[in-house]
Amino acid sequence: MIHFSNVTKFYEKQAAVKNITFSVEKGEMVFMTGPSGAGKSTLLKIIYLSEKPDEGSVTIAEWDLSKIKESSIPFLRRNIGVVFQDFRLLDNRNVFDNVAIALRIRGMLDGEIQEWVMEILKMVNLRHKADSFPLALSGGEQQRVVIARAIVGEPTILLADEPTGNLDSDTAAGITRLFKEINARGTTVVIATHNKELYRNTGRRVFRLDGGNMVGEELG
Amino acid sequence: MYILYSFRLAFQSLWREKWINLLSVLTIAAGLFMITLTFFVVYNIDLATKKLPARFSVMLYLNDGLSEQETGDVIALVKKNNAVEQTRYITKDKALQELKGVLKNADYILEGLGENPLPASIEIKLKKESVNIESVKKFAADIKKIKGIAEVEYGEQFLNSIHSIKGMAEAGSLSLIIVMSAGVIFVCYSAIKIAFYRRKEEIETFKLLGATRGFIRAPFVIEGSVLGISGGIASAAAAFAFYYVLFYKVTAAIPILKILVFPLETFPALLLCSLLIGIGGAVIALGRIRFS
Repeated sequence: MIHFSNVTKFYEKQAAVKNITFSVEKGEMVFMTGPSGAGKSTLLKIIYLSEKPDEGSVTIAEWDLSKIKESSIPFLRRNIGVVFQDFRLLDNRNVFDNVAIALRIRGMLDGEIQEWVMEILKMVNLRHKADSFPLALSGGEQQRVVIARAIVGEPTILLADEPTGNLDSDTAAGITRLFKEINARGTTVVIATHNKELYRNTGRRVFRLDGGNMVGEELG
Repeated sequence: MYILYSFRLAFQSLWREKWINLLSVLTIAAGLFMITLTFFVVYNIDLATKKLPARFSVMLYLNDGLSEQETGDVIALVKKNNAVEQTRYITKDKALQELKGVLKNADYILEGLGENPLPASIEIKLKKESVNIESVKKFAADIKKIKGIAEVEYGEQFLNSIHSIKGMAEAGSLSLIIVMSAGVIFVCYSAIKIAFYRRKEEIETFKLLGATRGFIRAPFVIEGSVLGISGGIASAAAAFAFYYVLFYKVTAAIPILKILVFPLETFPALLLCSLLIGIGGAVIALGRIRFS
């Protein structure tokens, strides 16, 4: 589903990731871990085409990213749900609209959107907050809105960048359960985190990064 | 279908910045109104010059003492010229009679002249396409070569003046229309550029969620269209007020202005132009949307 081969990315001559090679199979749930600046976010950005690799090749669900046309990028992105580290919620829109936007972009009709969004909000336990605005929500609730928005379009890949960054352990455990549920439905999940609790005893593959290098792979 | 959602986004954005947008609409309206007035002036000048061929004539004064046969030959030769539409022969007596008609009560100045001093003449109406400086000059030169013609007169200076006034008015108006149109497009461009920068973060998020260029552009193009057409409606209202005041109020006091024509087709054309200007301004402001 995701294949990186000798990928390097520079930011102003400084390599953010160096010669990275790894693969993630369809339906798999993997973790990327490492300290801040290890290159976790850069790898996710390359997957959702926010950054282009300077060297190496990346294949996402049969799409070779070095050959993809710019006009095709939106359609690839619709297959990738992203839980952004900084949430990227639209503060002037309520929870419902924040989630619905992912479906409006896909050209779905209002009636279907209403039904589908409420279903997803129920799944993340936020149905009662549908009319609330992001700034009125707690960090955990905002995180769940972002997850709802990421999965509402039924992507084949879900990427999460530090999804439990500022959350207490109970809320983090709830978020982790949610990811497992999503993965159990067949979605490939890639989680970048420095929180060991998130992957401990999961039995999932964990890629360890440090200073932009892939320094190891282990089972969580 | 995201088009309804695009309309919603566009109207939300227009309402959020309603005062700036109102100012933009009024500026667009003022610009379009100026363009309309300029067009009105050019249209009337053009109309006036189009009527010129019907009123324009060339006078050929004949030598004294031509026999009826010789006069007939001259008229036949003149008629052979391709530029000639119509001829009218004016005898010496008819010329005097017409002069008396023109002088009316002042015809006493002709008393005591004894012999009629006026020459016989031929008044020539030229074909429409021949009423221009070059053709008339050439016609006059050709016709003067005919034996029996003493003088050719066609108001060369008048024709030159009309031509240069028309040329200057057209060039000036065209320049003004171009400058004003560029100004109006720039106002639309600025309004949309501001709206685009204000929503930059949101647009970035839309892109990351898989929005196409069409989805991102549509609300701004709608916004530009609404600004443009609102300006168009306001300028059409101003143009209508101008039309009403000019043709129903001013002409009552100055009847000569009744010769002016306000083409009513201006109104739909104005709305269409304003719509295109709005869309054009928005498209230029958005430029090329990149995804990576």
